[in-house]
Amino acid sequence: MSDPISADATASEIARAVADGTVKAVAVVEAALARIAASEPTVNAFTDIVAARARKRAAEVDAGGTKGPLAGVPFAVKNLFDIAGIATRAGSKINNDNPPAARDGALIRRLEEAGAILVGGLNMGEYAYDFTGENAHYGPSRNPHDPTRMTGGSSGGSGAAVASGEVPLALGSDTNGSIRVPSALCGLFGLKPTYGRLSRAGSFPFVDAFDHLGPLARSAEDLALAFDAMQGPDPDDPVCTTRAAIPTLPLLHEGVGALRIAMAGDYFLQGAEPQALAVVEIAAHALSAATQPVILPDAAAARAAAYVITAIEGAALHLPRLKSRPQDFDPDTRERFMAGALLPGSWYVKAQRFRRRYREAVLKLFDDVDVILAPATPCSAPKLGQKMMTIDGVELAVRANLGMYTQPISFIGLPVAVAPMQHPGPMPLGVQIIAKPFNEQAVLRVAHWLQKQGIANAERGKL
Amino acid sequence: MAEEKPDIGKLVDEAAKAIGLAIAPAYRDNVILNYQRSLAIAAPLLAVNLDDELTPAPVYRP
Repeated sequence: MSDPISADATASEIARAVADGTVKAVAVVEAALARIAASEPTVNAFTDIVAARARKRAAEVDAGGTKGPLAGVPFAVKNLFDIAGIATRAGSKINNDNPPAARDGALIRRLEEAGAILVGGLNMGEYAYDFTGENAHYGPSRNPHDPTRMTGGSSGGSGAAVASGEVPLALGSDTNGSIRVPSALCGLFGLKPTYGRLSRAGSFPFVDAFDHLGPLARSAEDLALAFDAMQGPDPDDPVCTTRAAIPTLPLLHEGVGALRIAMAGDYFLQGAEPQALAVVEIAAHALSAATQPVILPDAAAARAAAYVITAIEGAALHLPRLKSRPQDFDPDTRERFMAGALLPGSWYVKAQRFRRRYREAVLKLFDDVDVILAPATPCSAPKLGQKMMTIDGVELAVRANLGMYTQPISFIGLPVAVAPMQHPGPMPLGVQIIAKPFNEQAVLRVAHWLQKQGIANAERGKL
Repeated sequence: MAEEKPDIGKLVDEAAKAIGLAIAPAYRDNVILNYQRSLAIAAPLLAVNLDDELTPAPVYRP
């Protein structure tokens, strides 16, 4: 059990300590604000700090105004979430000229109803079109395990804030891997829930077909705690499911014995550095996974289709801004958006038609397995500014390829947890834990089990 | 007959003109590079054959 005001404390530990009176929420928030002040020159995770609001809220929690399961837990959100009184940047210079948001995004409201305390908005790749965590306007978020390296993106600030111990919990968004890539590269647990499970109301969109929101934390228990507090229908997001919430925390300690687990084969065993595949083998061995991998059919085409839909939907969303303020875009997103605006419409329709076929084929796999394991990234964190990487003798663009294993999964909205794996290398690597739609409980159980066995571990970066 | 390689530069220039997107000379090379990259990444999708009956799900459910 960590000291609840220390950088090592998890959200669950803080909530328990605040609930039993061991520590005051005000003290927890002051400690978090002090850590943020000390770490920001190195990690550059925050773009907005709402200290006055956080202090007021903490005093309310201590006065007994809130007794929820997250009482006193400081958290921060990727700056595409609306924060009342602040313009929603979405990583851009352009949107920072918008009027301040009138109210908080839905998930901020739900976490605060559960007692959590928002301390600020987090850096991100511009308009979420990013796997690196770099940003020309606000500077890159830097990896707390080695500040010369990328956090991964686009939820780069979310990864840096949690991995540095500034806050125990952050929210990010994941369209093609933007929670899972920084979770893996920063050594964190992350959850991309089922498409439509969590409300996206009050967040700036990227690609409606794939946009998801979810938490990053240093334990699977914290993911479950936050996820359960955020579940539930929301008419403000037309995609949000009307299914009742399925709490995950009560079953977290059930173990993995009843789960049928297999590795993803074929596409997911190719094109990665050996260590990125080795950590999946380690997880599979520990979990007594089936000896035969399962094959997600046409995964390469699924990745291609996700790329096409993203390029075209993203460009369509931003076309008015590309015409009116091209000079104000991050150069690393501008020309990709411009190219996307010119791609053939027939590609988009084919990608959507293919998506239906792929979804049906992958869902059939879950007749025989409950959980599928796959690498999260093809490599550990590249150096900041690095444009190309060589993997398996092939030279690849960093931006386009860090998400090669995450894209075929979010393409059909499956729930995925990332667990940070113990391995001999100096930089973190993660494994994706994938299940059928609305089975978040299974992926969190596996992540929790791996952590309890000491096979997965979210160590804080030593700044 | 060998397939003629498309002139991506010309395609980018004309398609941008058609949708009213002015691409400054300083951005043009990188737009072309990204278009070429998209062609390469999309290839596995474009190679797939789909039945005519396969329509996109009108209401997508995960």
